[in-house]
Amino acid sequence: MKVKEIMEPVIDYLSPEETLKDAVNKMRVARRGEKKVGVKGLIVLDEKGNLVGMVSIKDILKTIIPFYMSYTSLGEFTWDGMLEDMAKKVADKRVSEFMTKDVITIDEDAPLMECADMMVKHNLQRVPVVNKDGKVLGIVYVRDLYYALVKTLLDKEA
Amino acid sequence: MSQESVAEATQQVVMNGTFWTATAIFLLAYAIIVSEKIHKTIVAIVGAALMLVLKILEQREAFHVEELGVDWNVIFLLISMMTIINLMRPTGFFEYIAIKSAKWGKGEPFRIMAIFAVVTAVLSALLDNVTTVLLLAPVTLLIADALEVDPIPYLITEALASNIGGTATLIGDPPNIMIASKAKLNFIDFIIHLTPAIIVIMVIFLIVLKFVFGKRLQVKPELKKRVLEMNEREAIKDPVMLKKSLFVLGIVILGFVFHGMLGYEPATVALFGAGLLLLLSGTHDPHHYLAEVEWPTIFFFMGLFIIIGGVVKVGLIKWMSMKVLAITHGNMFATSMLVMWFSAFASAFVDNIPYVATMNPLIIDMAQQLWPHLKGVELLHNPALMPLWWSLALGACLGGNGTAIGASANVIVVGMAERAGKRITFLRFMLYGMPIMILTVILSMIYVWLRYYVLKV
Repeated sequence: MKVKEIMEPVIDYLSPEETLKDAVNKMRVARRGEKKVGVKGLIVLDEKGNLVGMVSIKDILKTIIPFYMSYTSLGEFTWDGMLEDMAKKVADKRVSEFMTKDVITIDEDAPLMECADMMVKHNLQRVPVVNKDGKVLGIVYVRDLYYALVKTLLDKEA
Repeated sequence: MSQESVAEATQQVVMNGTFWTATAIFLLAYAIIVSEKIHKTIVAIVGAALMLVLKILEQREAFHVEELGVDWNVIFLLISMMTIINLMRPTGFFEYIAIKSAKWGKGEPFRIMAIFAVVTAVLSALLDNVTTVLLLAPVTLLIADALEVDPIPYLITEALASNIGGTATLIGDPPNIMIASKAKLNFIDFIIHLTPAIIVIMVIFLIVLKFVFGKRLQVKPELKKRVLEMNEREAIKDPVMLKKSLFVLGIVILGFVFHGMLGYEPATVALFGAGLLLLLSGTHDPHHYLAEVEWPTIFFFMGLFIIIGGVVKVGLIKWMSMKVLAITHGNMFATSMLVMWFSAFASAFVDNIPYVATMNPLIIDMAQQLWPHLKGVELLHNPALMPLWWSLALGACLGGNGTAIGASANVIVVGMAERAGKRITFLRFMLYGMPIMILTVILSMIYVWLRYYVLKV
């Protein structure tokens, strides 16, 4: 099986000019298949439809946590309401400022093993699938890859 | 080569091809360092290598001759102190001190600013300024967020306090380490001659802060509670290692206090401390602690020493010292004041390390011309010469406060503020830094005049 056979189409995406607040809202109502259930990450496309980044829940948390906390362990000295206050402070930050810019993509014709290897090595939940010109055709999720696996194993047993 | 033969060799300055080649390497290297077009460490290494390749200095002179080559006392003191700090940092000691200070300030914004300034100054006197600021600034930003106050005045105050405090001791700031080594001054000499000046300067600095920020900073009571509820004990990550570190740091400081009496160089004391703490830490992987030594700074020093050695050997420094003497006519008070103010303004805009590296041999050359019959320590510690060393130290260290690029601590706080989304422009830093620099240098000037030329103690 190839990656393009298990990928899902891109319905929702972000633009680099949108704010963190917009991103949070879009992720909350994003569609997965037919239902609006919310997603944990979205790709970022520029006006020409080129892939320029990805935003995940972790990217959002990282931009909310003040940078100085990464210098040394200060977690014990934080207070109730700090995360909420910090989140409000960065609500208007542009997607382009906190998105992951170096996006790992996979070719539509890549075999599933390449995709599995990539996801495990880089700890990825979702990988954009691109054609030869670099245009995004869909997204392959780690759970869909796993379902493909489940199917293979259980069908054989049956 | 001994002190005497160096003196003889430079008795007459011959402006031949070698002289001009060495001068060109020196000037070009310093110009590129100032322009920041190429990293200063690379410039220093290339310049030093050219001095050797073009046979201005022999390798033996660069590596093994005290008057011309690398000052290993400075190098080993820096490496050893950095290693001790690298071993100490993960224990959480510095975070503990910072949180404790904020609580001691009872969450009052100005009280915290003053206490942080004093803590920064004291730590900077015992450790290097960059380490101190790098360790305290993150906690400062956290406290500022907790109190919902602008962190910029706090960060700038810390950088200024760090440069002031670093001036107080032999190990506080690289210029002092270099001066101590060249002038054969010990830790106690610095305590006797510089620490009193710095205490006075610090008190006046705090009074100025009180005038500027005392009323401006106000905080709601419920925000103070955030700070008061912090438990500083949670900062300690490794109590066993902390005890070992404090034990070794105590020995090192005692060693510094008595090094003159015991006949040890400061580098011997620091090297012993680094070795002992590495041993006590029980680590099987010293690589990590040693790799974190700021090697670019160390190589910058080594390269500079060799470049300076080259221009000392060809007589450029001697020529420069003759020019200075021609201006001041051998009036030592005038020379002291000139050195102090020139050092302050030079250090405000350019790195004070290459500056002091040049000034040290220049002052020695000047002394040799003034007192040709004196040699060694008798020459270096001539009572008429001593105020010059202190003026150089005060000017070069305090001058760092003048601009955002005057000292490494300033560069660090500006960088941290920028990451926190609060840009400190060059002008805004200067608005705080330049008046403080001028004030502290005026105070130093009064101190040197009063102590060495009026009271003569």
